Amino acid sequence: MDFKTTNTVDATEVWLTGRLEFTDHDRLRDIVELVEQSRARRFVIDMSKLDFIDSAGLGMLLILQEETESRNIKMIVRHPLGDVKRSIELARLGEIITIEF
Amino acid sequence: MAVPALSLSDCRVLIVDDNEFNRKSLALVIRRAGIAEIAFAENGREGLAAVDRFRPDLVLLDVDMPVMNGWEMCEALRRNATHEQLPVLFQTALDSDEEQVRCFEAGGSDFISKPIKPGECVARVRHQLEKRKLFNDLAAFRERVQRELSHARAMQTSLLPESRKLAEVADRYGLTLDAHFETSSELGGDFWGLYPLGDRRLGLLMIDFAGHGITAAINTFRLHTLIDRFPMQHMAPSQWLTQLNGALKDVLPTGQFATAFFGILDLAIDTLTFAAAGSPNPVLGTPAGAKGNGPDIRLLDSAGLVLGASRRAQYVDQSHRLPRGGFLFLYSDALIECGGNGHAPLGQGAVPDFVRDALARDRQHPLRPMMDSFYARTSLPLRDDLTAVWVARRA
Repeated sequence: MDFKTTNTVDATEVWLTGRLEFTDHDRLRDIVELVEQSRARRFVIDMSKLDFIDSAGLGMLLILQEETESRNIKMIVRHPLGDVKRSIELARLGEIITIEF
Repeated sequence: MAVPALSLSDCRVLIVDDNEFNRKSLALVIRRAGIAEIAFAENGREGLAAVDRFRPDLVLLDVDMPVMNGWEMCEALRRNATHEQLPVLFQTALDSDEEQVRCFEAGGSDFISKPIKPGECVARVRHQLEKRKLFNDLAAFRERVQRELSHARAMQTSLLPESRKLAEVADRYGLTLDAHFETSSELGGDFWGLYPLGDRRLGLLMIDFAGHGITAAINTFRLHTLIDRFPMQHMAPSQWLTQLNGALKDVLPTGQFATAFFGILDLAIDTLTFAAAGSPNPVLGTPAGAKGNGPDIRLLDSAGLVLGASRRAQYVDQSHRLPRGGFLFLYSDALIECGGNGHAPLGQGAVPDFVRDALARDRQHPLRPMMDSFYARTSLPLRDDLTAVWVARRA
C-alpha cells in the first residue's frame, strides 16, 4: 500500500492506493504519526484508489479509529469500492466507524 | 549497533604456513590479542587434517606452500559443508591485485597483507571471529525458534477436531465430514470445532483471527479457553456469539478481532440456524427438486460486526432448511483471497461454481478436488491460513 496526504484547515486526508494488508504494519505506524501530528478536526481516509483490504487491514482501521477518538478527531473512511467495500460491509465496520460510501 | 568487544580467549586459531618464522610471528601477534588456543600446520594437506582434528574457529592461511597450496586447501574446505562458514584469512602480498582476487575466488573470507602488521592482523582476525560468533548465535536462535514454533503448531493442531472425532461425529449424526487446515507461517489464526448438543443437534464453529503468525495463534488458544466457559446447549447462536464477543473484547487489544460463523444443525427439523460475524459467505446446498438437476447451491449472508471490536455488537440468527442430501461448506478467507501462478484469487462470487465443479468430480467427498484445484492455482507458502470444512447430510 502507498499513500499520500493532503491537509486542509478542516481535515487531514490520507489517500490510499494498492493493497492494505498484513505486510503494511509499518505504513500504519506512519499513518498513526499523521494522526498524532494532525491539528484538524477530521481525519479522512480515502479508499477510492484502494484495490484490496484483508483482515489485518481492517484491524488497522480499528486502531486508527481508537487513535483518532482518543484525540477527539473525527475519522471518516471515504469511498471504499469493489472488494474493499464488500470486505468492510461483510465485517460491518460501519457500526463503529463512520463510512461514506 | 554497539556490540561489546568479544573475548578471544576461547577462540581457536589454526596457522598454516611453511615458514617457521612466519608461524611464530603470527602466533605471537594473535596470542597478544588474547588467543590462547593455537595450532600449526606446514602445508595445505596437513592443514586440512588439522581442521578436522583441532576444529578451529578461524584459519590463517599462507598461499605459497609445498604439497598443497593455500588456495587448494581453501577450495577443499569449502567443498565440505561442515566448513562452509569457517573464516579463512589469507596472508598475501599487498601489491598483487590478481593474487588477492584469487584468494576470494578460492573461498577466502578476507586477507591480511604481508609483511604482517600486528594491528591490522588482530583487527581482521577479531572481525572475522565476531562475525562467526554472531552467525552462530543467530543460527542457534533460529533453530530454537523453529523448534518452539513446530511444538506450538502441534499444540494448535491439537485444538482442532482430530480425524477420529470427525468420523465419530459423522456416524452419530449421519453426516459426511471432511476438513482441511493449513497455516501460513507455522502458526495460524484459524480455528474450527464441532460440538455435539444431544442426539439431534450439532454445533459448528469456525473462527478466523485477523492476521496470522504467533499473535493470531495465541488468540486461538485464548478462544479455546473461552469456548468452554459458554455452554451452547440452551442458547441461540446469536446469543452465544454475543457472549463470545464480549469476552474477546475484554482480552483482545485494539486492532485484533475475529470473524466467525456459529451454527446449530438440528436434524429433527432439518434446519440450520446460524449467526455470523463477518466470515466469508458459507455455501448451502439443498438436494435437487423433482426435475433432477444438480443441487441448489447458494451463498449465505454472513455479514456481522467482527468479534472483539465493540462491546455493543449485536448478532442475528438466520434459519435455513438443510434436509438429507444437503450440505454446508465453510471456509476461511484464504480460499478466496490467495492467488498466484498467474491466477487471480478465486473471489467470493466464484465459490458456488467452485463447489459445483468439485461435486462433479467427487460427489461424496468434494473437499479433496476443491483443495486440489485451490493449490493448483495458488503459490505457496500460503499468505494466510486456510481452513475448509465440508458437512453433508447423508441422503
